[in-house]
Amino acid sequence: MLRYTWKRILTGIISLFVLVTVTFFLVRIIPGSPFQRGGVSGQVVEAIEQEYGLDEPLLAQYIHYIRNILGGDLGISYQDPAANVADVIARAWPVTASVGITALAVSIIAGTAAGILRSVSRRRPVREFISAAGMMSAGIPSFAAAVLLLLVFSVKLKWLPASGLLTPAHYILPVTALSLYPAAMVSRLVGNTLDAELKKDYVVFARAKGLGEKRIIFTHALKNAYLPVLNYIGPASASLLTGSFVIESIFTIPGLGREFVGSITNRDYTLILGLTVFMGAVVILVNLVTDLLCAWLDPRTRRAYRGEGA
Amino acid sequence: MKKRITAAILTLTLTLLCTGGLSGCVTADPAADAQGKNITVAISSDTGTMDPAGSIALTYLAYSVSALDELLTYDENGEIEYRAAESYEVNDDSTVWTFHLREDALWSDGSPVTSSDFMNTIRRALDPASGSGYANYLFPIENAEAIYNGEADMETLGVETPDDHTLVFSLTEPCVYFLDLLRLPVYTPSSSQYADSVDSGWDKDPSTSLSNGPFYLAEYVPEQYFVLQKNDHYWNADAVNLDSITYRFFDDTQSMANAYEAGEVDVATSLSSTVMEAYEGSEDLYVTDQIATRYIYMNLNVEPLNDVRVREAVNLAINREELCQIVGNDTEPTYNLVAKYMKNKATGEYFVDEAGQPFEEDVARAQELLAEAGYPNGEGFPELTYNYPTLEMDSDTAQVIQEQLKENLNITINLEAQELQANYSTRYSGEFDLCRMNWTADFADPYTYLSMLLSNSTYNCSGINDPEYDALVGASNSESDPGKRSELLHQAEQLAVGEQFYIIPLFAMKSVNLVNPDITGIRQIPASGALEYRYADI
Repeated sequence: MLRYTWKRILTGIISLFVLVTVTFFLVRIIPGSPFQRGGVSGQVVEAIEQEYGLDEPLLAQYIHYIRNILGGDLGISYQDPAANVADVIARAWPVTASVGITALAVSIIAGTAAGILRSVSRRRPVREFISAAGMMSAGIPSFAAAVLLLLVFSVKLKWLPASGLLTPAHYILPVTALSLYPAAMVSRLVGNTLDAELKKDYVVFARAKGLGEKRIIFTHALKNAYLPVLNYIGPASASLLTGSFVIESIFTIPGLGREFVGSITNRDYTLILGLTVFMGAVVILVNLVTDLLCAWLDPRTRRAYRGEGA
Repeated sequence: MKKRITAAILTLTLTLLCTGGLSGCVTADPAADAQGKNITVAISSDTGTMDPAGSIALTYLAYSVSALDELLTYDENGEIEYRAAESYEVNDDSTVWTFHLREDALWSDGSPVTSSDFMNTIRRALDPASGSGYANYLFPIENAEAIYNGEADMETLGVETPDDHTLVFSLTEPCVYFLDLLRLPVYTPSSSQYADSVDSGWDKDPSTSLSNGPFYLAEYVPEQYFVLQKNDHYWNADAVNLDSITYRFFDDTQSMANAYEAGEVDVATSLSSTVMEAYEGSEDLYVTDQIATRYIYMNLNVEPLNDVRVREAVNLAINREELCQIVGNDTEPTYNLVAKYMKNKATGEYFVDEAGQPFEEDVARAQELLAEAGYPNGEGFPELTYNYPTLEMDSDTAQVIQEQLKENLNITINLEAQELQANYSTRYSGEFDLCRMNWTADFADPYTYLSMLLSNSTYNCSGINDPEYDALVGASNSESDPGKRSELLHQAEQLAVGEQFYIIPLFAMKSVNLVNPDITGIRQIPASGALEYRYADI
C-alpha cells in the first residue's frame, strides 16, 4: 500500500512537471504581449518587456521559471506587480472551494436521498418523477441552468441576489447550478446499484432474519452501493474544487475560474502558469485520495495492494 | 416507517440546501452597512494598478475620476476648471509652463499636497520597470525620453519644483496642447510619503493610499469591490454630496445589466446595444457619445493598397449607413479620423463639423477608380485579408464590409478573426493587409488622433510616410493662434483621409448606460466621454 502510494505521488509530480512545461511554451506561442493594450505605444511596450526579461531567449526564460518554482516562488502578476501569484491563489481558492464544497455536499446528500427514494419507494409517480427530474438535471448544461436560474430568481422575481458572493443567500443560485448535474449522477448511481443490491441474497437473508428495512438499506446495502458513487465523486470534486469558469463568470464570483480566464485574456504569463500548477496539483491530489479511499473501502483491492506491498 | 424515512431525508436535504451557503467564506455586503448617500457603480473586471505611475487599466480610470485631482481640466464648455492648481503661466513660445498649486489643498490624511508629489509620479513613471503605458506622454518634457531610455540622468529632467506650491515644466518643443495632457495619469500626483514604488502595494491599501480629490479609498477587496468615502479634507468638500461610492467588478456586460435589473447596482456603463432596445423610453437609459473612432488601417506596403486610387475606391464603395444599421443602433457613420464628438475648444463646435465631409461615398466613382488602377470590375485584384478582434461588433462589421466590397467592386476580402490581444500584436507588427483599429481619445485635442499617422508614430502601423502631412501636423504644434492652428489640423485631416485615403473610417460609437433615475449631477468627461460622479447626488 505504501509503495503504491509513493508510486502514485511520484507519477503525480512528473505529470505536474510535464503540465508546467507544456503550458509554459503554449502560453508563449499565443500571439500578444502582456503589456500591449489599445493605447500603449510600441516603444513603451518594448521597454517594459525588457524590464521583465521577456526579451530573453525562451529557453532561458523557462529555466529561470523552473528554478523559481522549485524554490517555491510562483512569481508576480504582470498585470499588478504588487500581487504575488501565490497571494492571488490564496485569495481566490477559498472562494472557489467554499462554493465547490457546498455544491459537492448538496449533490451527495440530495443525490443519495433521491437515489434511495427512487429505489425503495412503492409509489410509481414518485419513482418516475425522480427519474425524470434526474434526466433533466443531467441534460441541461450547468451554464444554461445558471442563466435560467438567474433570470427567474434574480432578475424577474428578485428573490435572490444576482452577483457576487457577499451573503449566504448569494450561494444559493451558483450552488444549485453547479450541483444539478453531479446530484443527478449520484442519484442515478445510487438508485441503480441499490436496486441490484436489494435483490441480493444477503438482503433476503437480512429480511428473513427480521432486520428493519431502514437498517438493511443504511447499514448493509448502501455501503456496498456506494463504491461506484465514490469513483464518480473523486473526479467530480476535483472539477468543483478548481472552479467553474462559466458559473463564476455568470455570477461574478471572485474565484479561481474567473482569475484563470482573466489571466489568459491579459496574457499574464506567471499567473496562468501559477494557476495551472495549482489546479493540476489539486486534481492529482484529489484523484489520489479517491483511489486510496476506494482501495481502503473495498476489501478485494485492499487485499491486492497488501499482496503487492509484501 | 417508510414515510418517516422519506420525511427525514427530505427535511435533511432542505435544511442543507438552505444553510449550505453558511459553510463558505462570507464577506460583509459593502452597501448594507453604509449610511448616508451612497451609490454603487458596476465596472468591468479588476485590472491594473491604482498607482498613476504604474500599468493602469480600468480600475485606475474608475478610481481616479472620483479620487484624484489633476492640475487642471476642461469642463463641457471647453473652459478651464482649476483643480490642484489655481493658476498657470506660459512663456511666448509655449515651451515653459508654470503651475501654481492651491495652497489649501490637502491629502486625505490632512497633509499638504506639494509640487514634489507631482514630481513623484513623473519620476517613477519614467522608469520602464513601472510599466506605465502613458510614459510617452511625458516625452514633450526636456530629456524625459532620454531618461526613459536610460540615456540621461534623472537630474536633467525638465521639471522643477522651486517651492512647495510651484511646478515648472520645460519642454523640448512648443506644445500648445500641453494643458490637455495634464489629465493623464503620469501628470497626476501620488503622495511622496507612501507612494514609493509600483510593487509595494501602497496603492490598494487604504492606510497608505491617499487622495487629493473628493473621495478616498476606504476599502479594497480584490476582484469584488472597492469603496470610496467622501474626503473631508478636500478643498471643495462643500460641493460634494455623496458620502460614498462603491465600485463593483463584473466580468461581462450581461452580468452588469442583470445586476442593475436586480437592483444591486445604481449605475452600469458600456452595455451592449440590446439594452438600448430593452430599455427604450425608460428613464434608466442613459446614452452618451463616446469620443472614439473605429476605422481600418490599409497596409501601404501591400500591393495594390499602395495605390491611392485603390484606397479611394475601397473607401467610396462602403455604405456606412447600411453598415451601422446592421451593426447596431449604438453606432453612427463617420468619414473622419478625429472622433465625431470631439469638441474644438477654440470654437466650442465639434471639430469634424467645422470642415466639409472629407469624401462622399460613390459606388460608380469607386468602380471607375478601380478600373483606372488596372482592375476593371475587380478582375485581377488580389484577395486581401482583414484582421479584426472577435468582438461581436467587429465580426458583424467584417461581414458587412466583405459583402459590400464583393457586391460593389467584385473584390474578395478574407476574414480573419483574432482574439483581442492577438489582434493588437498583428496591428503593431504591421503584418496585415487590412486591420481593425479603434481609438478613444486620451486627451481632448484632435492631436490625439492626427499624431497617430505621423511617420514616426508608434501607432502608425500601416507604413504611412508623408512629409507633407508631418509638416502640417508639426506646424500646428507651435501655432499658438487657435484659429490658425485649427486650420492646419483640418488641412492635415483632409490630406490624410480625403486625399490620400490612408485609412477607412467606419463609425463612431455610443455608450449605453443604465443609471438609477434618482441620481442627479452625473457629468460626462469631455476628453474621454466617461461618466464622472464627483458632484452627483441621490
